[in-house]
Amino acid sequence: MIEILDPTTEAAAAQSIAWAPRPTALQGKRVALIQNTKFNSDQLLRRIGDILKAEYGVAEWKMYDKHNASVPAHAEIIEEIKKSADVMVAGIGD
Amino acid sequence: MAPATLTSKRFTAHDEADAIEQAFAKGWSDGLPVVPPTEARVRAMLDAARLQPGHQVAFIRDRAVAVTAEKVAINAVMAGCRPEYMPVVVAAVEAIGDPRWSYHGPGTSTGGAGVLMIVNGPIARELDINAGDNLFGPGWRSNLTIGRAVRLVMRNVIGSLPGLLDRGTLGHPGKLSYVIAENEAESPWAPLHVERGFRPEQSVVTVIASDAPHQFYNQLSPGAEGILTTLADDMRISGTVMGQSTYVVVLAGEHMRTIAASGWDKKRIRQFLFEKTHNSYAHLKRTQRMSGEIAPGDEQKMRPLVASPDDILVVAAGGRAGAFSCYIPGWGSAKSSQATSKEVKR
Repeated sequence: MIEILDPTTEAAAAQSIAWAPRPTALQGKRVALIQNTKFNSDQLLRRIGDILKAEYGVAEWKMYDKHNASVPAHAEIIEEIKKSADVMVAGIGD
Repeated sequence: MAPATLTSKRFTAHDEADAIEQAFAKGWSDGLPVVPPTEARVRAMLDAARLQPGHQVAFIRDRAVAVTAEKVAINAVMAGCRPEYMPVVVAAVEAIGDPRWSYHGPGTSTGGAGVLMIVNGPIARELDINAGDNLFGPGWRSNLTIGRAVRLVMRNVIGSLPGLLDRGTLGHPGKLSYVIAENEAESPWAPLHVERGFRPEQSVVTVIASDAPHQFYNQLSPGAEGILTTLADDMRISGTVMGQSTYVVVLAGEHMRTIAASGWDKKRIRQFLFEKTHNSYAHLKRTQRMSGEIAPGDEQKMRPLVASPDDILVVAAGGRAGAFSCYIPGWGSAKSSQATSKEVKR
């Protein structure tokens, strides 16, 4: 018999992600759209924003741009979104 | 002092063959058999780099993963590394964890980047990292296992599993291992690490998120300008063309000697290639690489392939014979990922 060691990252038992509470309805909510700046991603998100407004009754939507597609959203826009939005949609349009 | 405990979970296997099959079954392998990571082998790897198992080699911000020396050592064993390769593997993992390399993009992108690693300095000779014939393989244990270890770390420790978080559309063979050394013994030029601010006697790994190598041929030219004109013509339309980050130009023996005999240094090579790889807006629009209709003046309006001549890294490496060299387009744009160099600590 031989013993071998696990090469993977083993998740700590207590580790959890603190999800923000999910809204039960979108009626009257303010929506932030985060676009990754790839070609056409703004168009895709704009269409999503319009659908959320027309069909789900969101109050408004506003678009925020990441610095580029390969980096996480930067602190400034996250802080701004925390203050000014209830719901956020992030995605890519390639 | 007693050696620090290895904290990774342990599995038992009947024998080495069973351990190899278990590694496949558990999803730990890149598709090739691995060397079973026993405690003795993992400790030899850590000792060679003089690292404690809990030492944090890198922190991958986007994945919130701390990469410890213990996990790097386990994966280096599995890749088939000799213990003395471990410091190079560690330096490369430090480099891909550097915010300038920006792991998330090249680790995940449909663009399918490999991690090209260029090793400079004395360790390249000590470990027999190939800088000559069959530069990109096969045939050299250090070239093939060091890169494999880094990719196994990406897969097993950071979670960049092909088809899940590694979404490369095509990938390329360099994603298995993509390690070369510069031929410093025969090169007439300043080595890459010296150009990047290190001393010649330091050992350094430079990592670049990269496409596959593109070979070009010129057996005709007696001097630098002819060879580099061929190269520029090949390079001009390559990679994503628009907003390319970096190019690595690898000049093999014959071309290296011919270009050097013309009195050209790396700086002049870079400047020439930068100037000769511009594309007109009209061409880029006609070939559907740039959006929009062709406007008056677009035939004369030029766009460079990279932002600056310094974004073309020139390396002397490859076989002594043959009128071939190659260029390697970097992945993504300059804002997405930058070539990153780390000293190999011993």
